Amino acid sequence: MTITRREFIAGVGSITLLASPVFNARAAALNKRNLVIIMLRGGMDGLTAVPPRDRILSNARPDILVKETLKLTSDFDLHPRLETFHELWTAGHAGIVHATNIPYRNRSHFEGQNLMESGGHVPYKDNTGWLGRGLESAELGGLAISLPMPLLLRGEVVQDNFYPTRMSMPHRPELMAIADTYPEGTELRKAMDKVIGRPSSMMNHYGGRDATELANTAARELSREDGPRVAVFDLNGFDTHAAQGGDDGEHGEKLHDYDRILNRLRSGLGDAFDNTLILTVTEFGRKLDQNGGYGTEHGYGTAILMAGGLVKNVLHADWPGLKSKDLFEGQDLNATIDARAVYCAAMSACFDVDFNYMRKRAFWDEPLPDLTDTLFNV
Amino acid sequence: MKRDFFRKVGFGLGLDEAVPDDPLAWAQAQMDVVPPLSWKGDIPSGDSLMDHYAHWVYTDRKVLRERHKTDRKAYKEAKEELRYETGERFFENLELCIRHDAALNSGAPVFERLWFFWGNHFAITDKDFMPEFATGAYHREVLRPHMTGSFTDLVKAATTSWAMIRNLDNSESIGPNSENGRRRRERGKPATVNENHARELMELHTISPAGGYTQEDVIALSYVMAGWETRHTKKRQECNPVRFDQRNHQPGTHTVLGKAYKQRGLNSSNKLMDAIEDLCAHPQCRQFIAIKLCRHFICDEPTEAMTAPIVAAWEQTDGHLPAVHKALLQVAWDHTGIEKKFHNPEVWLLQMVKMGGVAWPPSPKSMTYSFKNKPRHNQTLPEKTMREIGLSPYRPQQPNGYSDMSSDWLSPELLIRRLAFASESGGRLPKDIDFDALIDRNFDNADEVKAYLAPYPTRFGKGEALFPSYWMLMA
Repeated sequence: MTITRREFIAGVGSITLLASPVFNARAAALNKRNLVIIMLRGGMDGLTAVPPRDRILSNARPDILVKETLKLTSDFDLHPRLETFHELWTAGHAGIVHATNIPYRNRSHFEGQNLMESGGHVPYKDNTGWLGRGLESAELGGLAISLPMPLLLRGEVVQDNFYPTRMSMPHRPELMAIADTYPEGTELRKAMDKVIGRPSSMMNHYGGRDATELANTAARELSREDGPRVAVFDLNGFDTHAAQGGDDGEHGEKLHDYDRILNRLRSGLGDAFDNTLILTVTEFGRKLDQNGGYGTEHGYGTAILMAGGLVKNVLHADWPGLKSKDLFEGQDLNATIDARAVYCAAMSACFDVDFNYMRKRAFWDEPLPDLTDTLFNV
Repeated sequence: MKRDFFRKVGFGLGLDEAVPDDPLAWAQAQMDVVPPLSWKGDIPSGDSLMDHYAHWVYTDRKVLRERHKTDRKAYKEAKEELRYETGERFFENLELCIRHDAALNSGAPVFERLWFFWGNHFAITDKDFMPEFATGAYHREVLRPHMTGSFTDLVKAATTSWAMIRNLDNSESIGPNSENGRRRRERGKPATVNENHARELMELHTISPAGGYTQEDVIALSYVMAGWETRHTKKRQECNPVRFDQRNHQPGTHTVLGKAYKQRGLNSSNKLMDAIEDLCAHPQCRQFIAIKLCRHFICDEPTEAMTAPIVAAWEQTDGHLPAVHKALLQVAWDHTGIEKKFHNPEVWLLQMVKMGGVAWPPSPKSMTYSFKNKPRHNQTLPEKTMREIGLSPYRPQQPNGYSDMSSDWLSPELLIRRLAFASESGGRLPKDIDFDALIDRNFDNADEVKAYLAPYPTRFGKGEALFPSYWMLMA
């Protein structure tokens, strides 16, 4: 288990660790593994990103079929706008879980996104996220690359976020005086303590706000020995009810946005890429049939894209098939793997915490299968 | 005297304003009439903005892309020119000026807070150039005039508005058995309903998931709604008024939440109106709205005791909004000093402006745009300011609008924005600002706040310390 400067500021548990005589920042850094979550909001279509070679799919989607695909396996292809992902796949640094989803079946974005972040079963019930709880169980720090704090990263401990600004801040004595007006123990006070405890690299740096420049920032912070272990990105726009398109449509554009972030992380992380796992999450997939507007409606099963040195080069699926009787409610790709098993395994692998302990802490001890050895090199 | 109330339901009191003797009566009296917009500059009509929008989409899609098929650079340059010509970079800024001027100067700040609330409830998301050309006018022309009528009429207006129909894709909806649907299927083309708008009408606008609807209800309501569309024409693309087209409507009787909707009269357009009336009369609808109102104004987790008087007012008046709003204000008054709400960034910013007398928004004169060149600094400042502070009112990312939960506004970076805006406020405060007077009229713990500011001799120091303080962030 490792410790970073930021945890020292934030966490009570980490102070105990800091006092431990075996603590050594450099040694810790050698084992530092990073987990990057890219949230694809709106319902990423696994059948567009990783289409199976199946006549049923081409018949169901005559106008939005992805044609110039990249080759993955004998049964599955890859969307052509996922170029970086394909390079990584070929080099053995990418994997896929297909026909998977969180256990949510009601097709609402807001409920679905709430659950993909909370990891629970009842929308709006939990006010912490699975990643926030997982980080707490490992006593680690995370960093969201966004202006608000995503539910995913929320826990009892306030995590950090980063979003560059050019504006000037009050000086330290004034900051302390302002902080004193915030009652002890409030969320506001905890957020303020994070601000006061920032490393100078996050106070004085102005980077751009384009997704790829934010990816550079994330890569820089993640590759610091005492930097955060987790970064979270937010990508909107996967809700393609209209003009979804095939090779060069709107869904492909959004997949390309993801691919660009992946590309920057790969180059920015350098050697640290070998100790990194980059995972996508989304609220649901999309219906098999195209709709009247050359788009697709909200569905169920989808795919998880995984990249980085910690990922095994596998396409893992218990493929349910696309025949009517195999579809969820006769309309959607079914989900045969609980996506939370993948999330739990990813945290177990990256945070060096036993899978069952992680399952207990982050997912209420629910019976999720241990996929760590199937999916990740640890 | 509950001075915090002025910040709980309004934007605080300015130094040039009289202090109302009876704050609750002052607030409630604002609920009965729609105050005129106070902005002294241009207020473009929604129709004229749609003309600009039509020019923008038609020229881009049908002219420029065709003309510059092989030359990306020329295309980009031509598109930049088109941005100026259509006001694509300008109108959102003008809308923000109109909005903020109303908040500060309409004389009915509590009404304006509720206007902000309903704009966020019936949110139009950040896509398809809606923020650039349409959302502001929709707030002004569709929502605002209905705030003194019934909730049902407000829902009818929002649901059939061009902005909402467009934003939730209802024009894509084709009843499978409709005249056009059958023809499409004969030609091997898909003909299905788009469930998006129907689902949000229930989930976000009226009864919420607590209403207990099923996927079958969503599909049935999609059938009810099929045919409500923005007509597409070559020259104006989708920029034509909303109409009901029977040829896309799913024929027959559709059952939503156990109630059957069938055609009365010459076409089926009544089905949606009938369904909206039933949704608005559903017990979960008034519960849902009462909770949302309390969550916005009073605290994150409203209690039954808070929502009950609002629900009762709704039941007595069939959801007459002035009565509902007044009941809310009574509850807010009763809880002033007991429950504190963390202000979202826009409310907080406007309170700083109002109480401190900061010059904002940019003047009507400086907002006169040429439509020939890039907008000047002032003319893009409102949009940049709101983006920086983390709440762009015409750009919610999802149809559920911006959150009213404190935890969603509490990230370190969002806090940094408050600190930075306060830090830079000093230079924009009047040189002779009387901080003691500002505090006396807006804070119940005036002595505590004055003592806190005592170490800072200048308005720069005082502004930097006061505006991000706990007492200013909460009310």
